[in-house]
Parts: sequence; structure tokens; C-alpha cells
Amino acid sequence: MKIRKIGIIGCGVIAQGIAQNLAHSKLEVIMYDEKRYWLESGLESISVAIDNEISRWGLTPSDKKAILSRIDITTRIQDLRDVNILIEAKGKTFEDKKDVFIEAESVCSDKTVFMTNTTTISISNIQDFLKFPERLIGLHFIPPIPKTPIVEIIKGIKTDDEVVKVTKLLMETLGKRCIEVYEYPGFVTSRVILPMINTAAQVLLEGLATAEDIDAAIQLGYNMSMGPLAIADQIGLDVVLSYMDSIFKNIGDPSYRACPLLRKMVREQKLGVKTREGFFKYDEKMRRIKNY
Amino acid sequence: MKVLTLNCGSSTVKYKLIETDTEENIAYGKVERIGMIGASIEIVTQNGKKIVEEQELLDHVMAVDAILKMMIRPDLKIISDFSEIDAVGHRVVHGGETFTGSVLINDEVIKILKENIQLAPLHNPPNIQGIEAAKAVLPDVPMVGVFDTAFHTTMPDYAYIYPIPYQLYRKHAIRRYGFHGTSHYFVSRKACEKLNCKVHSCNLITLHLGNGASVTAIKRGKSVDTSMGFTPLEGLVMGTRCGDIDPAIILHIMQQEKLALYEANNLLNKFSGILGISGKSNDMRDIEELYNQGDNLARLTIDIYTYRIKKYIGAYFAVLGHVDIIVFTAGVGENSPLIREKSLEDMDTFGIKLDHDRNEKIVGGKDGVISSDDSKVKVVVIPTNEELVIAMDTAKIVKKMGKKLKK
Repeated sequence: MKIRKIGIIGCGVIAQGIAQNLAHSKLEVIMYDEKRYWLESGLESISVAIDNEISRWGLTPSDKKAILSRIDITTRIQDLRDVNILIEAKGKTFEDKKDVFIEAESVCSDKTVFMTNTTTISISNIQDFLKFPERLIGLHFIPPIPKTPIVEIIKGIKTDDEVVKVTKLLMETLGKRCIEVYEYPGFVTSRVILPMINTAAQVLLEGLATAEDIDAAIQLGYNMSMGPLAIADQIGLDVVLSYMDSIFKNIGDPSYRACPLLRKMVREQKLGVKTREGFFKYDEKMRRIKNY
Repeated sequence: MKVLTLNCGSSTVKYKLIETDTEENIAYGKVERIGMIGASIEIVTQNGKKIVEEQELLDHVMAVDAILKMMIRPDLKIISDFSEIDAVGHRVVHGGETFTGSVLINDEVIKILKENIQLAPLHNPPNIQGIEAAKAVLPDVPMVGVFDTAFHTTMPDYAYIYPIPYQLYRKHAIRRYGFHGTSHYFVSRKACEKLNCKVHSCNLITLHLGNGASVTAIKRGKSVDTSMGFTPLEGLVMGTRCGDIDPAIILHIMQQEKLALYEANNLLNKFSGILGISGKSNDMRDIEELYNQGDNLARLTIDIYTYRIKKYIGAYFAVLGHVDIIVFTAGVGENSPLIREKSLEDMDTFGIKLDHDRNEKIVGGKDGVISSDDSKVKVVVIPTNEELVIAMDTAKIVKKMGKKLKK
């Protein structure tokens, strides 16, 4: 299959990252969402993200022009009828995702490959509601998506092997290493990182060390590029909490019972980078303020 | 013999159809945005007629096919049939240590080219795609690969081995290769022809000053040293590439700015050189305009650019013992009297004397001597023509291999 145009449903942080990554890999993208101003603000955020990259020599101004020229936006779902791959990165719940794909089936051709970005939602359960369930596959990207060279791909019970092949090809085009994982809440990446974040928060709550020192210990001690608390700030503490609750509910493992500090911070809207305060503070360009 | 030359990038193909018996360009053009929406093909015919068309071109096979179909269009009458094309010459960036000259492409050559991908990960894959595309469209036409590195394979080991652990050369083939070989070869021969001297009995310094820039020391026709190294990043100041810098700077900046590898790579390849110093443009024409308006950073850019050229000329004088000819070529070399003059300023003791008026007049694709009559070293401007070298080499090899030409 020649990949020509890719549709994206949604225009939030994940959808923006996917769109930027696809367009930078010279693929044409059309982003769909309900409100035009959401889409415009999504595009603006991509533009800001690219400017940040340019300021540290990651991308050039001509890259920016090329990337933005390949991203189209629309509020009409019918405009997705010609895409040969559709990536959903909007729905937060099973119901949301199921409804999106039922609607997409009425618009797209029978051959369009459907992909959904998810951390905890079952692909097989969504497949039960589709006319052509074999075309659906799950993806789990890790933000910042254009920079993180790994993606998990999740096969549902009915996913066709050809769809797996196309997905791997697309991920290769994006410069990503794919790992194929069994369908299970949290897959590999979230399953492993969440208990570490949770424990780091617990250690902070118990007053063993400062946030700065906890992160330094893990980062330098185990040669990671970021500490667990900085990772949590990047993901968003609300997102971390919802993943933990969902995995805990699904598998009952106490490692996923969220630390009270995490709940408290979410209640206080200290959600990390996006609210400019989480375990650390951030300036208006989302850069961490030192010595906080 | 009609030879089609192809220079394939990841989403572009530049091509030229050349009659090698008369060295005439029959047609040329380019294909852009291969595999993307809005892909286009451009052709310029011998009488200057230019056509640009949007087409759906999903890969290099479709692009090469589209080029050929364009050529047989009855309204253009470039050729009447594909069979008129006698051979295809491919520009290949990196020949590694294997290819010391142009070669007839067969399966074994393609296999070695694929093994060389690690040496030129950006350039060689599209070059190979171009070869495979041309083979798919013209299966019976002989093809020749012409390498940017081949001319420099005559460098002695002490010029190409870096003073780092020798095992890195053995393990990863880390050494200096040099690039722009086709251009340095072409202009050195043309310069000798123009000045009526035999290439095998003179020494030259050739300066290819385009967006990429390199200088080569040529002793009796052979490259003995060149400024580009393992990659085209080493050597002179270029449009956006830094050229020679202290390698410790890279490590220091990466640590200070917490840069990832690709960011450091971009910094050196895309944000440095003329663009990096001036902060305005990577195009020397813009910098000269600013220089004339008194812009201090433009002055600094030009000073650094020409000072580095002068340093290399001095070094290659020492390498060669004596120099007969200095050649300027490519965009900046062919069109900038200012850069030529500043690069050779105060070099009378080396026997280099520029003639100001001659220097001012040779621009816009003209060739000519720009040194004064009493200059011991002759300085000439020679427009480069890499496609012609590719076509001529291709014709030579195909003839030698005794391929029956289809007429």
C-alpha cells in the first residue's frame, strides 16, 4: 500500500505530535475536529513546538514551512473519505473511541486502515462494534511524539496481519522503533514507568528527599535522560492519575494504587508542564525553571 | 551517443540528456516532491522552451518513467523513442574505498553500494533508488555510476587517515574521502585545456565554491589532498556548514545546551557557515549586498570565508611544492569577483597577481583568466559541468565494454 494522505481525528497534544511527526516525514495530513478554533489553536501549538525546536537547532525554518504546508484542517468528517490511514487521538473513553470509529466507517472506504492511540482501552472491544474490525490497530505513542523514537503497536483479536505490516511501515517512515505488545492495560511502557512515578511521589510525600534530588538520583544513578517526576510533569499528572486508576481497576495490582500526593496535586490543578506547575515549575516556553 | 544523467535525491530527480559526441545538452530538468501531493516535473528543451507539469509521481520509478515520457512527447520532439537513449549515467555521492573510478552498474555494484549506505546515509539510498528505478524503466540500457569520491582516491594515506585510533579506520572506515570529485576533475582538465598545458605536467588548486565548498590540491592530474573529509562538513566555510572547527566545541555545546545528536548535527550542517555567522542568509549574494551597505556581520562573514580559503591555498602550496594554476568554480566561485579578490589578496610572494578588470568581467557562467599577465600562477574561472563528466564517463565505459548501441 502506498501511503498518501493520513487523517487524524483530534487536535490535542497527542494529535499535534502525530501530525507534526507525519508531516516532517513528508506525508500529507488532514486533521479533523469539531470546532475550527480548536484546530487553529492546535496548529498554532504545532507552530510553537517547531519554533522551540528551531531555537535549539532541531529543525530549520524551511522544515517549519514544509511541515505546516502538509497539515490541512477540517471540521467536516466527510473530508476524511480519501485518506488511506486514519489515526484517532481524541477520545478519552471507550465510548468516545467506539463512536468515532463507527462514524468513520460511514465516511471512509472499506480499505482505510484505522489506528487508535490508547494506553488502556481495549482494541478488541472496539472491534466488536465495527463492520470491518480487521482494519483496526492500536498505537501507543510517548510524548513528545516527534522526538521519542519508540511506539508500541497493539493488535486486537481480529486485527489483520496486513494491517500490522502497514503500521510497521508507517512507523518506520516516522523513524520509530516498533514493539508489538499484547493487549493488556498499560502495555509495556506505562506498566513499567507508572509504578516508578508513583513511588517517587510517595518518597517525596514521605519527605525522604526533595523532588530535585529524587529525580537527580534516578536520572544520574540509572542513566536516564529524565527523572520520574519530570517524566510525570511531561505526561501530565491528571493523565498519570487516570492511567493508574484504570490499570488498578483492571488488574488490581497495588503498585498502581495512586499516591495521595498525586491526587492532591491533580485536585489543585498542578498538572505539570501544561499548567506550568507540577513537581517542578515551568516558564511560558515550557522550559523548566531551575532551582525550584 | 545519447546519455541520460540522473542525480537522485530523496524526493527529487535532476536530469540532463546529453549528446556526448558533440557535448551538447539536448534537454534538462527536474522532478520534485516525489511521493507527495503536488509532485511536479519540469523540462527545458534545447531551444529554451520550459514546461512544468503537476503529476502523480509516487516513487522514483514513476519519476524516471515520467521524464522519459516527457521526452517522447510529439510537441517537444526531444527523442522519438526510448530506444534512442544509449546509456544512463548516475551520480552517486559515496563510492567508499571500493570505487576508484566510474563503473558499469551490475548486481555486484548495487550490492556494494548498499553496503556503503552507512557512509552516506542521506545520499546513497536515493542514488540507489534512482538506479533501481532506471533499471525498471530501461531494463536493457547500460548504466554507469559516477562517484563524487572517486577522483580523491589517489590521496596518499597520510592525507586521508585521521590522527585518531587507527582501529576506527579498520572497524568503521573512518577516513577522509573528499567530495565534489567530478567537479574538481572537470575544471582541472578544462583549465589546462584553456591555458594550453598538459594536465599531467602541472599542479593546480581547484576551488569549488557553491553552497557546499571544497578545495583540492591536484598534482600532475591527481588529487593529493582535498578539504572535505569523512563527510562534506569538513574544510571551508559553506552556506550552512561550519567547515573546520575544534571538535571539542561539539562535545562542549552538546553538554552545555543538552543537545541530542540530531540537534548537534543540524547545528553544524544547517545553522552554521555563512548563515550562522551572518545570521541573515546562506546565500553569498545577499551577504555581499549587506557588505556593500556596511553591515559589520556581513563583513566578518566574508572575512572569515575568504581567510579560510587563503589558509587552504597556502597549505596546498606547501603540499604541492609549486602551483601553476588556481581555478575558481561553482556559484560563488564563478560569480563573485569580491570573494575571488579577497581570497587571493596580498599573495604576490606566492606569485599570485590578480587583474582587477579581468576579475570583474568574468561572471555569469563565463570562463576566463583573471590573473595578470605577469602572474606566475595563472588564475582562471571555469564554470563546472558535473553532468557532462557523468555523461562522458558513461559513454567511455559503455563503448569500452563493447555494448552494441541501439540505433
